[in-house]
Amino acid sequence: MSIQLKHLTKKYEGSDTPVLENVSAHIEDNEFFAIVGPSGCGKSTLLRMIAGIIPISSGSLYLNGEVANDLAPKDRKLSMVFQSYALYPFLSVFDNIAFGLKARKQPKDLIKQRVDKALALVNLTDHRDRKPKDLSGGQRQRVALARAIANESKICLMDEPLSNLDAQLRAKMRIELKELQQKLGLTVIYVTHDQVEAMTMADHVMVLNHHHVQQIDTPLGVYQHPSNEFVASFFGTPQINLINAQYQNGSLKMDEDFIMDTDDALIEGHQYKVGIRPNQLQINSDVNNGNAQVVNVSQLGDRTMVEARLKNEQEVRIVLDGQVDIRPQQFIQIEGANGYFIFDADDRSLVSVKKGALTNA
Amino acid sequence: MLKSFDNKALEELNDSNASENERAKKGLKKRSDFGYAVLFLGPSLLLLGVFVFYPMIKTLYMSLFLTNNFGQTTIFVGLKNYTSLLTSASFLASLSSTFIYVIGVMVLTIVLGLALAVFANQKLKGIQFFRTIFSSTMGVSVSVAAIFFLFVFNPTTGLLNQMAGLLHLPQLNWMTDPNLAMITVIVSTVWMNLGFTFLVLFGALQAVPRSLYDAADIEGASKSYQLFKITIPMISPSLFFVGIVTLIGAFKSFGLIDLMTAGGPNNATNLLVYRIYQDAFLNGNYSQASTESIVLTIIIAVMTIIQFKVLEKRVNY
Amino acid sequence: MNKRLWITSIIGVIVLAVFGVFFSAHSNADQSAQSNQRIKIIFWHEMTGPGADQIQQFADNFNKKQTKYEVVPEYEGSYNQAIQKVLQTHGTNASPALFQSMDVSTGQMRNANITTPVQKFIDEDKYDMDKIMPAARAFYSKDGQQLSMPFNTSQPTLFYNKAVFKKYGVKDLPTDPSYDDIKNAAKEITDKSKGAVKGVTVDAYGWYFEEFMANSGQTLANMDDGHDGFPTKVDFTNQATVNAMNWLQEMNKNGSFISFGSGSTSASNEIASFLSGKLGIMLQSSASMGQLEAAAKPGDLGVTYYPRPNGQKSNGVAIGGASLWISNDKDSATQRGAWEFIKYLMQPENQAQWQKATGYIALNKDSQTEPVLKELYKQHPEAQVPSNQLARTKPNATNSGILMEGLVQMRTITQNAMQQIYAGRNVNDALKDAENQFNSYLAQHNKANGYSNK
Repeated sequence: MSIQLKHLTKKYEGSDTPVLENVSAHIEDNEFFAIVGPSGCGKSTLLRMIAGIIPISSGSLYLNGEVANDLAPKDRKLSMVFQSYALYPFLSVFDNIAFGLKARKQPKDLIKQRVDKALALVNLTDHRDRKPKDLSGGQRQRVALARAIANESKICLMDEPLSNLDAQLRAKMRIELKELQQKLGLTVIYVTHDQVEAMTMADHVMVLNHHHVQQIDTPLGVYQHPSNEFVASFFGTPQINLINAQYQNGSLKMDEDFIMDTDDALIEGHQYKVGIRPNQLQINSDVNNGNAQVVNVSQLGDRTMVEARLKNEQEVRIVLDGQVDIRPQQFIQIEGANGYFIFDADDRSLVSVKKGALTNA
Repeated sequence: MLKSFDNKALEELNDSNASENERAKKGLKKRSDFGYAVLFLGPSLLLLGVFVFYPMIKTLYMSLFLTNNFGQTTIFVGLKNYTSLLTSASFLASLSSTFIYVIGVMVLTIVLGLALAVFANQKLKGIQFFRTIFSSTMGVSVSVAAIFFLFVFNPTTGLLNQMAGLLHLPQLNWMTDPNLAMITVIVSTVWMNLGFTFLVLFGALQAVPRSLYDAADIEGASKSYQLFKITIPMISPSLFFVGIVTLIGAFKSFGLIDLMTAGGPNNATNLLVYRIYQDAFLNGNYSQASTESIVLTIIIAVMTIIQFKVLEKRVNY
Repeated sequence: MNKRLWITSIIGVIVLAVFGVFFSAHSNADQSAQSNQRIKIIFWHEMTGPGADQIQQFADNFNKKQTKYEVVPEYEGSYNQAIQKVLQTHGTNASPALFQSMDVSTGQMRNANITTPVQKFIDEDKYDMDKIMPAARAFYSKDGQQLSMPFNTSQPTLFYNKAVFKKYGVKDLPTDPSYDDIKNAAKEITDKSKGAVKGVTVDAYGWYFEEFMANSGQTLANMDDGHDGFPTKVDFTNQATVNAMNWLQEMNKNGSFISFGSGSTSASNEIASFLSGKLGIMLQSSASMGQLEAAAKPGDLGVTYYPRPNGQKSNGVAIGGASLWISNDKDSATQRGAWEFIKYLMQPENQAQWQKATGYIALNKDSQTEPVLKELYKQHPEAQVPSNQLARTKPNATNSGILMEGLVQMRTITQNAMQQIYAGRNVNDALKDAENQFNSYLAQHNKANGYSNK
């Protein structure tokens, strides 16, 4: 089941600015498609428009090649998992999962067969007679999942389904969800604000910000070719460094003592932002007087995170492998980066991608 | 080795000390708990005793006697008041009209209150106006409502019959026809109850998460299926509450009856409470009124217990 | 330590509060006694509207005229409620010195022994009772002894809308109409208006039920309607009652009768219909006269005596209303004060003023020549009809009220019977049921109160 969005726009009555504007995408059959963005970017609204819970203001939605704008939710042949799980507190696990099938007046034995299957898939067979209030958060989440599965529709919409779980369980569920999607051959549209979820699970990622699509790409594509400053900063932890720089005489000058040569044809005297991922920076800590002073050091075990300040007060995050002995107040020399992005300081769009080149300062 | 032994010994010592302390504390606590219990419960027990238990026992006592004009008990008759009451045709008629009234009021109040609440819970333009209107009967006193309904139901000059006249429909004797009077009184009571019921049910509806309906929409449940399978179960505690309150309230209805029909015509609306009032405060027949009070108390208690036992199983808290 | 302090202080506060209330109540009582040298006469009444205003005015005037007593009128709700209040408070500080009690409570008040018969003061003062209308006097007396002073006194009266009669060309009713006179007029109005105007109504009201018997000269209770001892049985199935009920049912069946039910709302409903020209004839208390005159166009209000059985002379009807009783639980000075106020109320000019203000009949024969009433009769000649009806009535056992207890209960029962009859039930069956019902009540009531004729 493929899904196609063409110039979808959502505008509420009495409001000038649209909640979503001109959203287009093509989601292939059996694809895990993540919609990611900060809160308030309109990602849930988009999902609800696809579900049919919220009407579409303009643009077209195609489900399996047919226009579905005015189709009732129940006729769109999809299922949905809600952030709150939307379980019926007065029904048992079994009845919660069977709700839709009963509403559609399916024969009893078919209902039982499908619910049993769904229960087995999410490992909840033993909990079939419990009420939601007697389940843990993770178990409730799986009931919601089972309800979507029992539907046997090929499209499943998920609205931040893991956001109410603790970190460990979330990591585990990411894997389970992905497995389930592949096993059942589902087309999943997955809304999240968590870039890690998007990166680890999705085949394609749509990045939304300020009511507009920023980029649609594979997770790696988004990471390696962020179309603008926002996308670059949204993906990757710790966050990418975005350092103000001026192009002068074939070099990017970030600070008096931190200048990188570049072979890009940039505009002389123009302001740029240099995006360097923290793990791409090269430093030398064995110096008497470097170009940056350490502000804070966090030992993460396998890595060491250093926060340092250039002489012009710009802050830089650096991640080093292993446990490195650096102390606050100490001076270090930032020597260069293995790769970086150059963004235009005015329109924040990507100008150039540099890879692998260790550029000395 | 030595170190660990020391630790163990110390722990044991601590344990025994702790348990002794605890025991001592518990004893102290028990004694002072009782004192506090008496202190805090005393005033309310005293008030309950004076204003609830004593009148109840006195009522029971009076129901076993005949009383004279001054309300004094004169001749002990045992349960004879009860047997003659329960075999009296007019009492049994009262009883059956009370049940018709209570059930009619309860069913209509809940059904209409729910309908209004569901309607007001929609996101429509100007719905705030309707919400205010629907809850407005809460602020109307019984006497005002009675006057309003007397105006509506007056056989010749009433709003209803005037309108019927204009439309060439038969004009009915709303308050003087024994069959219609009950309907008139039920309708008026339901109208009075509606504001409160609406408010409670509307509040409950507002607390039902939207996502439950979204989920049901996607899963293919029709609106009526959602009403019966989601809305009603979700607000069942409130429905139960409203049910009990309406039931007890209906059993105790007095004001509207007194002002609109005074129990008539031909005792058609002579509900138990009104009968008790008439017997005690108009006829001065205190033993009869006491007997009726006891019977009413038992009926209300039984009905409430039944409601709790039967319905509570279906209520989802 | 702390805990004990708590308990002690809380108990202390409670004790103080209780004593505080007790002492303040006490000192208040002392104060009022000292500051007021006049003897207070608490007067309970059940009048509303113009009646209540007029009573207040009488009390104010009385208090101004003399310095010995201070009359304080207090409204006590409906007649029925007031009876119970009087009985329940008797012998306590809360009881009144003087109270107004309705006609049908007379037997009960007498039996209760809570009042001093006004006869005692009549004798002491050699008060001339001949000035008071005899039929009213007789209602509140037993064995030649005046128990209470008739006060607000009404007559059941027939009202008809002359404008309606004129519109449909129906002849006015005679002053002393028979059942047939009324039946024919009602039928004519209904027929000629094609049902738009209903001919007649009679409230399902026990008072009218009793008055049909009174006007036929028929006793309702044994022991000569209680004037000869404790009644032990009632008779609702006598020919006079059956005739009256048959008459009402016939009018019901031929469509000229409309029922407004019973109770206070039915009276206001039927008056509203009557005044809006949708009803031709109704029975009402003469006390409605003031209201009707104020609302009807001059000359439109027709008033006659109470309906009488066909081919029979009226025996006269019993009065309605209430009388004034002096409680025997107050000292003799207070009782004397209550009597002085009663005498003041019975003065010709005050009785005339009372009739003008309320529509109740002036009971002092001399009131008829007072300018207030002369003026009233000049403007509304029909206003004199109830007084005439009362004046011409020669008191006998059947038209001087029923000295029996439980009349309130009886009215509930007879009202139900009337409603059943209006709804088409067999007259004899309805009356027999009512009779049995009340007789068993009466037997139990007499037993509970220890009444017997031996």
